[in-house]
Amino acid sequence: MSTSPVPAADIETAAQRRGRLRLSRGITATWWYTVSAVVFLEFMIVAVWTGALAGAGRSTAVIATVGLGGLVWWLSTFVLMRDYRQRTEHEQFVPRPLVLVSLVIAACFGLVAGLASGLWLLGVVPLVQTSMFLNWPSGVRLRVVIGATGLLVVLWFIDGRLVVPPDAGSAWWLSGFFSVSLPAMTVLTLWWWDVLITVDRARASESRLAATQERLRVATDVHDLQGHHLQVIALQLELAERLMPNDPDAALSQLQAARRSVDEARQGTRDLALRFRSVPLPDEIANAADLLRAAGTSVQVTVDADADRAPASVLGPVIRETTTNALRHGGGRWARLSLTRDADAWRYEIENDAADAAPSADGAGLEGIGRRVEDGGGSVETRRGAQEFAVVVRVPVSVEEPR
Amino acid sequence: MIRVLLADDEAMIRSALAALLRLEPDIDVVAECADGEEALAAALRLSPDVCLLDLEMPGLDGVEVAARVTRVVATRCVVVTRHARPGVLRRALASGVSGFLPKSRGADEVAEVIRRVAAGGRYVDPEVAADALSDERSPLTDRELDVLRAGRRGETTGQIARTLSLAPGTVRNHVSAVLSKLAVSTRQQAVLIAEERGWI
Repeated sequence: MSTSPVPAADIETAAQRRGRLRLSRGITATWWYTVSAVVFLEFMIVAVWTGALAGAGRSTAVIATVGLGGLVWWLSTFVLMRDYRQRTEHEQFVPRPLVLVSLVIAACFGLVAGLASGLWLLGVVPLVQTSMFLNWPSGVRLRVVIGATGLLVVLWFIDGRLVVPPDAGSAWWLSGFFSVSLPAMTVLTLWWWDVLITVDRARASESRLAATQERLRVATDVHDLQGHHLQVIALQLELAERLMPNDPDAALSQLQAARRSVDEARQGTRDLALRFRSVPLPDEIANAADLLRAAGTSVQVTVDADADRAPASVLGPVIRETTTNALRHGGGRWARLSLTRDADAWRYEIENDAADAAPSADGAGLEGIGRRVEDGGGSVETRRGAQEFAVVVRVPVSVEEPR
Repeated sequence: MIRVLLADDEAMIRSALAALLRLEPDIDVVAECADGEEALAAALRLSPDVCLLDLEMPGLDGVEVAARVTRVVATRCVVVTRHARPGVLRRALASGVSGFLPKSRGADEVAEVIRRVAAGGRYVDPEVAADALSDERSPLTDRELDVLRAGRRGETTGQIARTLSLAPGTVRNHVSAVLSKLAVSTRQQAVLIAEERGWI
């Protein structure tokens, strides 16, 4: 068959596309929010340690080592954060060379800072913090962070006993507490990001699934429809072939029946395709005006602001039919379209100049309109003057479409 | 006798339709063409009364042939299509096509339309009109469409700005408005969408 209905699942309105774009922008924003929180925490810990060492009156060399080394370490973790964005749960734990470099930088900074300051805690925190960004399998990271926090608490305790002077100020306490809780805070932040990504992936796969199901349903519908009609047509043709030598009249009627079947199949396929196309009434009227203008008619349109609440199932076909009539039979100089609402009814009116030759063939179409509108409780009135032709359709508000 | 030119790239359909039309007492098929270029040449040579043009043809499509032919020869064009894509009817009407009908119509109906068009009338099939009316509206403003049109061959922002006598910054603003309205990331994609829907 030649007609190919567009798979409904591929039809994506501009609104949906905009929604998706907004969502992906939102996710990108959330990522930057997450990253900047972690970056800030890491920067703060370097600053707090440097401040604490300065406050304790350590030598400039020690302070500079911790400060500058800290900055290098701080920058090296950015690489890992960038990788973290691309991580998936299923990937194997394979450290890339760049990741190894980050780990080595963290270890070296820890070693140098630890030796320079004599603090165990400061020696271990950088490596622990850096390793939080590795692609740990789910569940393992929780154990790692609990273990790491425990280790840091012990080291803090040792520092407090051996290194930190008994009369140390609150800066020591702050930096110690901050160091111990940093891995846990980082993991919490990343965990929040993970949850968001999981939800987003679930949403994406759900909409993919819905699209696939819709596509399958359409395919089945098309297949059933075409299969049925083709079978009927094949039978009718076969019968005509058999009847041809003996009963040409019967053969002819079978051929005519086959042609009707083809028409039905075509109409069915078209209905299937149209099922997924509907636009709001104001758009339909705007399209009608565009068409008339393209044909060289000057068009005036009046549409109420809330016209998308008018009953599209009744008025849509009316607009199509009357526009086609105006295109075909109208004089082609001017047309006026309006869709307005008065107290209790929607009123659609199309008025155009009459062609020189009196229109003759639009009767059937208008009768169809009349039947349809009357079924919906409305009324149709046509006005035929010497210069103009008008159709006025009124549909009571009670049949207003649900939004 | 109405002299008709028939252009369709599908040979089966073309010959069957020609044979059926020749059965009509008042219609004579004077040329059968397999593509747009051929149809254009034949129409200029023979100046038929009515050209029956398939929309989907390699090279020039039916509407383009109609636009060029009607500029030179006093002939009336009917465009036939399998699937009236958004915007095509609008384009066809604007370029002076007198009739538009879907391919599914029987030869007797086609003959009727040919007679009507030859007599000076206009025929737009209700099915095609319904398709055109249930189009998605273009969300772009006229100025944004101008920018897309001026840049459809990959012109730079500077060239578009010169063509439209606008500041490059204004052009960039229009482009970014278009991109966000159509939810695409490049101007090329926006042009493709707009061409597909018949907005430009």
